[in-house]
Amino acid sequence: IDLTSHIIKVYLTLKVENLGTSPASEVHLAFSPAEAEHLAIVKAAATSGKRKKKTYIPLDVKSAELPDGPNGTKFFTVTLLTPLNKGETATLEVLYILTHSLEPFPVEITQSESQLVYFRDSAILLSPYHVKEQTTFIKTPSTRVESFTVVDPAKRAGTELKYGPYEDQPPYSYSPVLVHFENNNPFAVVEELEREIEISHWGNVQVTERYRLVHAGARHKGAFSRVEYQTRPDATGVSSFKHLLAKLPPRVHSVYYRDEIGNVSTSNLRTDYRKSELEFQPRYPLFGGWKSTFVIGYGLPLQDFLFESPDGRRYLNFTFGCPLTQTVVDKLILKVVLPEGSKDPTAVIPFQVDQHLEIKYSYLDVIGRTVVVLEKSNVVPEHNVPFQVYYTFNPIFMLAEPLMLSIAIFLFFVASVSYLHADLSIRK
Amino acid sequence: MAPKAITSPVPDSLYPTLSVLTLAIGLVLTASFFIYEATTSRKTRSLAQELTTGAVASVFLGFGSLFLLIACGVYV
Repeated sequence: IDLTSHIIKVYLTLKVENLGTSPASEVHLAFSPAEAEHLAIVKAAATSGKRKKKTYIPLDVKSAELPDGPNGTKFFTVTLLTPLNKGETATLEVLYILTHSLEPFPVEITQSESQLVYFRDSAILLSPYHVKEQTTFIKTPSTRVESFTVVDPAKRAGTELKYGPYEDQPPYSYSPVLVHFENNNPFAVVEELEREIEISHWGNVQVTERYRLVHAGARHKGAFSRVEYQTRPDATGVSSFKHLLAKLPPRVHSVYYRDEIGNVSTSNLRTDYRKSELEFQPRYPLFGGWKSTFVIGYGLPLQDFLFESPDGRRYLNFTFGCPLTQTVVDKLILKVVLPEGSKDPTAVIPFQVDQHLEIKYSYLDVIGRTVVVLEKSNVVPEHNVPFQVYYTFNPIFMLAEPLMLSIAIFLFFVASVSYLHADLSIRK
Repeated sequence: MAPKAITSPVPDSLYPTLSVLTLAIGLVLTASFFIYEATTSRKTRSLAQELTTGAVASVFLGFGSLFLLIACGVYV
């Protein structure tokens, strides 16, 4: 269990054995209701080989309903590649990510205090199966651990806590533990991110991102002393953050960073041929409970993202998620604005999102542009995977825009001809 | 096998040059339209010629203003 940042990553290495008579093709994972509420993503892979030669084959994970769990337990089912016969074993690695699961305690801290948080989990894995042997390792970001529940055998060495090994646990056994430790890594949470990707067939993809950022750690109380903050950076504001990093695609141009007041000049863009990094600083450092609202926009060349599929349709291949590193997005609204005249839009995404269509009126629009809106909650950096939006477009529609301008100017000429031809003199 | 990328019909770097060229031709034709209007008397004017000059000028001006918009970053 990796507790180094505010996004908790839990890696499970399961060695499953089929003791029944019929082949099993599914393995069930159980989560407590509190965990399930904050679960961002569950991924599983089948491993073969050892150490450096390990190969990972990703497996399908789906949410499932099983009747026989204690009340509120949520289940996920991992589908194995080949069914497991009686007596066979298989090794699975499961990664699941929890957000908003580190509870700050004390709830409010002053500028000079360090941030301490609670982490609640179980020393024994919650599982619908009988567990023969298990060990839990918890990794904290620093060596300061105020307290942790002792469930024998438990040991602490530096930044690692070890619970176990525990033998022969019945299904659904749960032993709550509470770890109180120091975590000063930036608790950057974006409450709402609205990302608009506008495709123009004349050669540009324009991305506009509207952020509402908040520091989701222990709330700041008392006064903020700028003098103390700047003169003693190691002793004050250790849990605050002022730098944010956004990873953008290569060949990005016209990047801007502004908020309600205007342009914010504290930003740096570093580009190379594989990626671009925008490092920016809000107007003030963010302490617990402080918010910042801003807009970041940039343009990208069309040929990097728009492709033609074999059946003749066009598709946009873009990365889902938020470009900011180490941040959780509570609500992500991704809008793909397709050019005027596009028909039959469909989106292909590897995970569950809410989709609907909208209309947007922009420059030189008559019938409006179709917008594919994808909404997702609880987005973490693991969700930054490519997705596609397919649509059909007849290239002749591109001529509609210059012809509209030409017709407008021609009407001006016709008006001038008619004025010059009209004879309004009273005298013949 | 890389999928076929879709690019704009005109290379990106050519937009400013194209816009200046088409707008220049369009303005020259507009000028010739108004010169024709000013120099001929109402009786000898030919409606067909007026409308053709106007149409050709408006096509060039229309495309020129579109390329100007794109060159300035307003990708319509």
